[in-house]
Amino acid sequence: MVVVQRRELTFWERIYLPEIFRGLAITFKKMFEPRVTRQYPEEALPTNEVTRGQPRLVVKDDGNIACVSCGLCEAACPAYAITIDSQETERFIEREPERFEIDMLRCILCGFCEEACPKEAIFMSDELELANTTRQGLVYDMKQLERPASTLKPRIDYVRRINDRW
Amino acid sequence: MSDLTKQTPADPSTIERVEITVNGQTVQARTDKPLIQACIQAGVEVPHYCYHPGLTPEGSCRICQVEVQQGKMPARVMVACRTPVMPGMVVNTETEGAHDARRECLEFLLKNHPLDCPICDKAGECTLQDYSFTEGQGEGRSVEPRRKLEKRKDLGDVILLDQERCILCTRCVRFMDEVPKTPQLCVAGRGSHSTIETWNDTPLSGNYQGNLADVCPVGALTLKSFRFKARVWNLTKTASSCGECSRGCATTVEVLRKGEVTRIRPRHDEDVNGWWMCDTGRFALDAFSLADRLVGTLLPSASRGWDATSVENGLQIASDMLTTGDKPLLIASPWLTQEEGGELLALGQTISARVAFVSTASNDLADDVLHTGDPGPNRRGLSDLGLEALTAEEILHTASEHSTVLCIGERVARLLGKGEAEGFNSLPPSARVLLFDCELPDAPTEGNSPIDIAIGLPSSVERVGHWVNIDGLRRNILQARPAPAGVWNTLRLLKYLHELLTNREVQS
Repeated sequence: MVVVQRRELTFWERIYLPEIFRGLAITFKKMFEPRVTRQYPEEALPTNEVTRGQPRLVVKDDGNIACVSCGLCEAACPAYAITIDSQETERFIEREPERFEIDMLRCILCGFCEEACPKEAIFMSDELELANTTRQGLVYDMKQLERPASTLKPRIDYVRRINDRW
Repeated sequence: MSDLTKQTPADPSTIERVEITVNGQTVQARTDKPLIQACIQAGVEVPHYCYHPGLTPEGSCRICQVEVQQGKMPARVMVACRTPVMPGMVVNTETEGAHDARRECLEFLLKNHPLDCPICDKAGECTLQDYSFTEGQGEGRSVEPRRKLEKRKDLGDVILLDQERCILCTRCVRFMDEVPKTPQLCVAGRGSHSTIETWNDTPLSGNYQGNLADVCPVGALTLKSFRFKARVWNLTKTASSCGECSRGCATTVEVLRKGEVTRIRPRHDEDVNGWWMCDTGRFALDAFSLADRLVGTLLPSASRGWDATSVENGLQIASDMLTTGDKPLLIASPWLTQEEGGELLALGQTISARVAFVSTASNDLADDVLHTGDPGPNRRGLSDLGLEALTAEEILHTASEHSTVLCIGERVARLLGKGEAEGFNSLPPSARVLLFDCELPDAPTEGNSPIDIAIGLPSSVERVGHWVNIDGLRRNILQARPAPAGVWNTLRLLKYLHELLTNREVQS
């Protein structure tokens, strides 16, 4: 058992009012100092290429999805958030996803999918916001995940740069 | 070298064995098999693409090179699949010379092999991929571009050929020559222009084409029906037996995400099927479809529809039906396992019923390779147990003599109806018909369905048991996926029903 020895209050502290005025003085002083809190969501968080937001699929400049549904991200995903079904295409690359779903409630934004992808098809975007009224609404399908390559450009360049270091 | 082509010697006692050393380990190696088998027997993994234990060794891929020292000769690197076993051989697979030889060979194999593993269906079970991972170098040294060939060459209804991926091991050519003995494939062209072709681009024929996708060590020959269906590491694999004929080939049932059966592949069983299976069994995936399954108990309602109830209730009603009236007729499907057949027989004795099974008519698929032409997988076992064999016609004929007919087992309605609903629906309306099956037969176009109660059963990929094949070999079937909710295991259901009937007999 530990007996906590409390400090005896001094006379000025015991008469209470001076301490109230001392506190109010601090509050008043802070009103004229620069603010340190952020007005989220009116003021968005700054993001850069290192931000590891939600994964998004790359749509190449020719309008086709870059993903060939090899399933490596699905296998790498530690949270089992990704589900892929494939289908055949008429293009030179014979395979594309028929269904590509990421359960955003399961996704832990670890970036393993981006690391596993052999086709530069999935990247961690700077999108961080996630809200819906149902759980099913947060299982994103291919339409919700697709982003043109130009939007993901900074991240793609960044990943290529750090991969070149190996 | 012709000794090496023999698959199984006529008499196992005539197998000659000699003592050799593999990586410092003494092995009693068979002289009728090539050196690579002795290495495998010693637990030493030697990579191989053109060698297949079920086919004549050819030695075209050269990847199985090992270092062999014999007598006073200096150690030499040679291919293990074309080297006969000799007494006193000292084999070493891990010397620098052997590794170098294999690495150089691998570099040549990968020279023209496309880097499309992310697209390739074989990825994950490809031995070229595995060995490149362990032994290969990160980057190719070749400056010439890879050869361009046809990526989607159609070889008939079953197989698609990707000529770029082919490493010309000729396993497929030898398979077609040696197993179904219908030579259809050949290597056409010379040097780097060599490709696998059929004569004049004729599509492949025969009931054994599916095996080509299994023997292909890379993703060159793939099944059209499995193309891009699943990644192989997502498939749950269960050892089981095929139920499409009385051969009962050993199979691996592969299920995608605990749902549909996506692929069935042969499993090695020396006495039953070797390494192969026929396309009839391989592509019989519809039989295990989860759509239109009979689940729980269905009772006919007044409005020509069905009322659902629990299996317990259903069995209570079934036991009422079986104990009223004269001698009931119990009809088993030849898909019933030995355990279930024995339980049905015991149940039949309790209520002194006539117990028979549907003796299926032979089909024209019989050949001298594997297919027996008899679609009932456990015919031999059920006859051995003492169930009476009756053809569908005989059953429909004798059913009128019985007031209650219980049809039990996978596909029993289909067998009685010979594939059509009308056959099953022509069971006499005077008899009470109890149907325990995986699916409900189509309702008759006119009048009411003869069924008085229908209870859902698990299919053969959803239960455990034994079948006895045409040669009297007992082989097991295993559960590859859970049965749909509300479906009882057949054996549990039979035991529960037997208990109900025994209690009823004791009371009366």
